[in-house]
Amino acid sequence: MSDDRPPLDELAAPPMGDLLDGELRDLRPVATRQPWRDAGLVLAAATIVVATLVGVLSLRRDLDALPVVWLVLYGTAWLGTLGLGAYLALVPRRGAVVPRWRLAGVVAAVAAVGFVVAGLVFARTTPQSLVYAPTLANHLGYGASCVALGTFTAIGPFVLGALLLRGSLPVGARAAGAGLGAACGAAGGFMLHLHCPITHAYHLGFGHGGAVVLCALVGALILPLLAKESR
Amino acid sequence: MAAGGASGDDGNREAIALMGRYCDGDAEAFRRMYALIAPRVLGYLVRMVRDRATADDLVQLTFLKVHRARAAYVRDADPVPWIFAIAHRTFLDEVRSKKRARVRVADDGAPPDVAADITGAAGGTAFEDDGQQELTAATLVALQTLPPAQREAVALTKLGGKSIAEAAEIAGTTPGAMKVRVHRGYEALRKALGVPKETP
Repeated sequence: MSDDRPPLDELAAPPMGDLLDGELRDLRPVATRQPWRDAGLVLAAATIVVATLVGVLSLRRDLDALPVVWLVLYGTAWLGTLGLGAYLALVPRRGAVVPRWRLAGVVAAVAAVGFVVAGLVFARTTPQSLVYAPTLANHLGYGASCVALGTFTAIGPFVLGALLLRGSLPVGARAAGAGLGAACGAAGGFMLHLHCPITHAYHLGFGHGGAVVLCALVGALILPLLAKESR
Repeated sequence: MAAGGASGDDGNREAIALMGRYCDGDAEAFRRMYALIAPRVLGYLVRMVRDRATADDLVQLTFLKVHRARAAYVRDADPVPWIFAIAHRTFLDEVRSKKRARVRVADDGAPPDVAADITGAAGGTAFEDDGQQELTAATLVALQTLPPAQREAVALTKLGGKSIAEAAEIAGTTPGAMKVRVHRGYEALRKALGVPKETP
């Protein structure tokens, strides 16, 4: 098709509007985002919240009786999810501005399913553990309190991370929110791992793992709102 | 890809330098960055909305958002994909805010022959008002017949020169899904234009 007209990439852009021009009149330097520092801040906040809550609420009473390998591996899984989720949700690949939201979303999905399944499969109990009658009411009651405590642990680090991400996620905010939510939910799970002496498989799966699920879902819902560019 | 006199990696390197200076408070650097990138963003938005006036407005809105979100920039990162992603989000927000216009019907209750664009104007009227004649009519009319996701994929890659990965990043999807959309869109476009498949 012969055509003397210019291709679209050579369209003349419209002149800058008054609003944009006005904003530039009073332009000041800004501190740009430092992703590694941001990830460090979120991890530090999570550490402080977990340490404070464990300090206030006490360590679990069956800590000494539990198998060390189980304790360490489960704890590593919680902490690994916290680190990996926060890293992917906050730190872009080299040379990019937008964080790796897609991978963060994958981590959220894997963690949400993984911690529920792990709780159901790898539960360990000791004579010192707290054992309740396995009724639905007990499962729901104890489970809900641990989901709430885990989620409460996640709130501070999540909000901090979301605010640090403001303007960074024109796309992928839901997936990044799920990743950051799962990461902070894993901090809550780690706190429960150190505090909660209930070792029933359903409780570990749906109570402790449920905190990750809930935080990932809530994170996906609210991060797009919290991380919008400032008006 | 031509873009205000700079192209490809050179253009992006210049954009990185300008973005850094702009974040340091240099307004002139923003103006130069606007001159460098806005034509490319405009080209993308024109293909998406098919209305020059709306695309012009969306370019302004995009750069306003870039300005307001400049603290989210990461030093030494390429700002171009981020700016395109903001343009894409701005376009989606515009579509949502004017969704009703897409189903606007004529006074007699009959639907328009051609899908209305996001301003509510029927497809055939784009560019006629301001005398813009850049569009190669047949291609772009055919482009408008594609589903939005395929149209966007073709606009970004085949017409906008973005790589599959870049286009996926901008559209907020996976490279695999973007590849499929491009392929299907291109095939549909070829079919609509009556271009036979190339044989090896």
